[in-house]
Amino acid sequence: MIGGYQSRAQRRLRTVALYSFVLALAWMVLSPLVRLQAVAFEDGARGYKVMFASSGIGETLMNTVGLALGSLVIGMVFGTLLAWWASRLPPNLRFLRALPILPIVLPAVATVSGWAFLLSPRPGYLNAVMRMLPWWSHLDSGPVEVYSITWIVIITGFSLTAFVYLFVSSGMQNISAELIEASRVNGSSALGSFFRVTLPLLRPVMLYGGGVTLLLGLGQFTAPLLLGTNKGVTVLTTHMYYAVAQSPTDFGTAAAFGTPLLVFGIAVVLLQKLMLGDHSRFVTHGGRGFRVAGKPSKISAWCIVVFTLVTSGLPMLSLVLLSLSSYWSPKIVIGRLNFDNFRQIFKESQIVDAILTSVSVSLIAVLIALVIGFIVAILLLRGRRHRLVRALLDIIVAMPLGVPAVIFGAGFLFAYTRPPMVLYGTIWVLVVVYVTLMLPFTTRMQIAGMLQLGNSYLEASRTSGANAFWTDIRITLPLMRSTIGGAAALMFILLTHEFTASMLVRSPTNQVMGTVLFDYWTNGSYPLVAAIALVMTLVTVVGMLAAVLIGGKEVFNKM
Amino acid sequence: MARTRIQGLTKLFKGNPPTTAADNLDLEIEEGEFLVLLGPSGCGKTTTLRCLAGLETPDAGRISIGGKVVFDASADIEIAPDKRSIGMVFQSYALWPHMTVRKNIEYPLVVRKISQGLREGWTEQMARMVNCEGLLERYPGQMSGGQQQRISLARGLVARPDLLLLDEPLSNLDKLLRDQVRSQLHELHRRLGFSAVFVTHDQNEALALGDRLAIMRSGRIEQLDTAREVFERPATEYVANFIGMNNRIPLEFRDDRWCGAGQPTEGTVLSLSGGQRQITARVRPEDLVVDLPHHPLSADSVGMPGKVVDATFAGRRFDVIVEVGDQRFQAWAPSGTDTLQEYPPGMSVRVTFRHANAVFYDTQGRRISEQRSAGTGKAGSP
Repeated sequence: MIGGYQSRAQRRLRTVALYSFVLALAWMVLSPLVRLQAVAFEDGARGYKVMFASSGIGETLMNTVGLALGSLVIGMVFGTLLAWWASRLPPNLRFLRALPILPIVLPAVATVSGWAFLLSPRPGYLNAVMRMLPWWSHLDSGPVEVYSITWIVIITGFSLTAFVYLFVSSGMQNISAELIEASRVNGSSALGSFFRVTLPLLRPVMLYGGGVTLLLGLGQFTAPLLLGTNKGVTVLTTHMYYAVAQSPTDFGTAAAFGTPLLVFGIAVVLLQKLMLGDHSRFVTHGGRGFRVAGKPSKISAWCIVVFTLVTSGLPMLSLVLLSLSSYWSPKIVIGRLNFDNFRQIFKESQIVDAILTSVSVSLIAVLIALVIGFIVAILLLRGRRHRLVRALLDIIVAMPLGVPAVIFGAGFLFAYTRPPMVLYGTIWVLVVVYVTLMLPFTTRMQIAGMLQLGNSYLEASRTSGANAFWTDIRITLPLMRSTIGGAAALMFILLTHEFTASMLVRSPTNQVMGTVLFDYWTNGSYPLVAAIALVMTLVTVVGMLAAVLIGGKEVFNKM
Repeated sequence: MARTRIQGLTKLFKGNPPTTAADNLDLEIEEGEFLVLLGPSGCGKTTTLRCLAGLETPDAGRISIGGKVVFDASADIEIAPDKRSIGMVFQSYALWPHMTVRKNIEYPLVVRKISQGLREGWTEQMARMVNCEGLLERYPGQMSGGQQQRISLARGLVARPDLLLLDEPLSNLDKLLRDQVRSQLHELHRRLGFSAVFVTHDQNEALALGDRLAIMRSGRIEQLDTAREVFERPATEYVANFIGMNNRIPLEFRDDRWCGAGQPTEGTVLSLSGGQRQITARVRPEDLVVDLPHHPLSADSVGMPGKVVDATFAGRRFDVIVEVGDQRFQAWAPSGTDTLQEYPPGMSVRVTFRHANAVFYDTQGRRISEQRSAGTGKAGSP
């Protein structure tokens, strides 16, 4: 029968398309990593030899592990507390649930530099205030030393609370309020119910969220680079950066320093795929049926507000103060505050170019990531044949979640400064890196959106006579509008304050906001740094408003 | 000939444990016929429907719709759902929320490029037939479940497909709406005469709508007959149970008489072909009547002594749980008559059923063709 032959030919065509798509993605994501590792093993693994011979390698490893574990503890404790507080907000204060997400929304470079301006031993604003207290009045500097591993851990920990908060609160939304109410009416207090019922039910979520947070802690780059360089506090990621940034560039050593992170990251991604398996298990109730268990509490609102003011408000305030001052000094004269710094940054073509590059590269990358994510989501959810290839695809797109951005940065810099594709010095190297980094987000969010749609809308279209392609154009895309819009805005936010990978692949002619900020930081032009940080924050806030407007208030829960 | 044929359909679901959703299943749907697939959840009725639609790929077998082969495992033919001449109605309505009712209904005409239908206003005609012509410019989100399902029905029929597939379309509606939409569906079928396969687990829906009923059990068809035939003469105990004969009375020929649930019976006794000594009677609750032991037994009835366990008021009657021997049965008893006002627990009663209302099965659960013989208590031999 003709029908049979036709479908066989179509099937073959589809198989070819699937294989080429997966191969292209694999080449994009994996080949830079593989090639970078290959360099480390060149000349009898010279890269590794250099690494192990370098002085202070033991301390670097200790710092890296300490940073990961310390920030994990801080992040888990505060993230879980915030989620619990958020679940007990009175109805009219429900909007406060958005506050704990701020550390994701605010650019990390902005927050970290803000902390430095607060807690730098001598001119730090907060240190100066604390020195007014009687028991510290004898000090000329301190009492807090922000350029230390302790404060790098604390500041990183604060930023990780947002991720833990997202995991835990979305997990809590899947717990029926009746389970908690049953505990209350059977005689347990609110706190008792939290420990006896809520937390045990959250165990799988906490385990998964904890794993991701540990991974993020290991790959931290911003705080160690900005705060650690001063006093020689190093972690693996900063070592990688120094190896790449020095002249001549030593890719072998950089790769060797990245290996522990790479191995651990890949292990976590594989483990997570094995443990969680099927995507349909990510189906959540969308939070619509969610109802607050028990009586709301005003105290929890206060707790959230105070925490946010301390961890995000204070650094932002210091940025505002400094950006309006001519120089960094704890003595602030209100009358002398002015907008000169902002005027100046908009005069410097380097900064303006960086802002434009940031925005345009982010937009291009978002568009490409959306298309790739849509295709991947469809392949992962609907495909029935070629299980192995789809499993590989699943792992490829999850890779950037496990492998730190600094490794991708180094790998891409290596791959695109030599044939077959020399992209270095163009914006395209940034675009490729950004698209790669966004693969997990674009895929996960679109998969979640498609799962939420269910199958029957699509099946109704197929049985009405539309083929798979037209069904996606006429039904899937329009119904996913808010998901896609939300994902776009969210990725735009993440990309406009991308710092880590950009630091590695940037070239003198291709700077983004974060890298320019870093250059001014190294030059010591702190008031300008503060002004740039605020501009970055502003761009982000615009992106966030767009995200919430398009994707709805729950858009961040889909990450 | 617009006939639908399923031959040797087999569909396995790998899993733990693996399940056979369709097991070498054969079925024919005549032109204009309304066929109901009836069975409990997990019996394979929905899978069979989805194989017809092309939404599942069977492991073996052959399907033709309207004379056109749409699936043949041995010839490697699988026609995509959109290339089959079908319409489908879903349990969740599946009306696209981003399109108006008009866009929803005319969608099959647009994507199938049926310009004649668009020219001649089939959309409006269909909307009128399901009483939704006033809703065409509105969005589905603003409508009741009943309206949504009628619109979904219009969408399924507008392109005049060879076969309409309905997957539990009434299950999401509440009782009142369900009855309304059900009678509208029946009327629509009478007027338009389309061929349809309707999946349900509700016996009342099946009896009301089906020209023929296929009662399914673990991927096989247990009985395929007209609604009346299935209702009156369920072929197996499984079907009897599913179609509402939930009282299972074990009968044994002992000491020259039949005992029901271990208790000696009185009244009419059966003589059965095959001479079995152990059989089972299946009786609906409404056919199992409670009265007093000393009352004269009406002709053609079988009685057994029993005790009331509990009785609940149900309007014109009482629903009574009675115990006969060690078995419990659901029976009806009249309320508000002179003889019996209340049924206190522990009260001694007689449970009776008319021979003609019972269906008898052998130990394998197969129906026994009975030859009745009138007689008294002791008479009758196996």
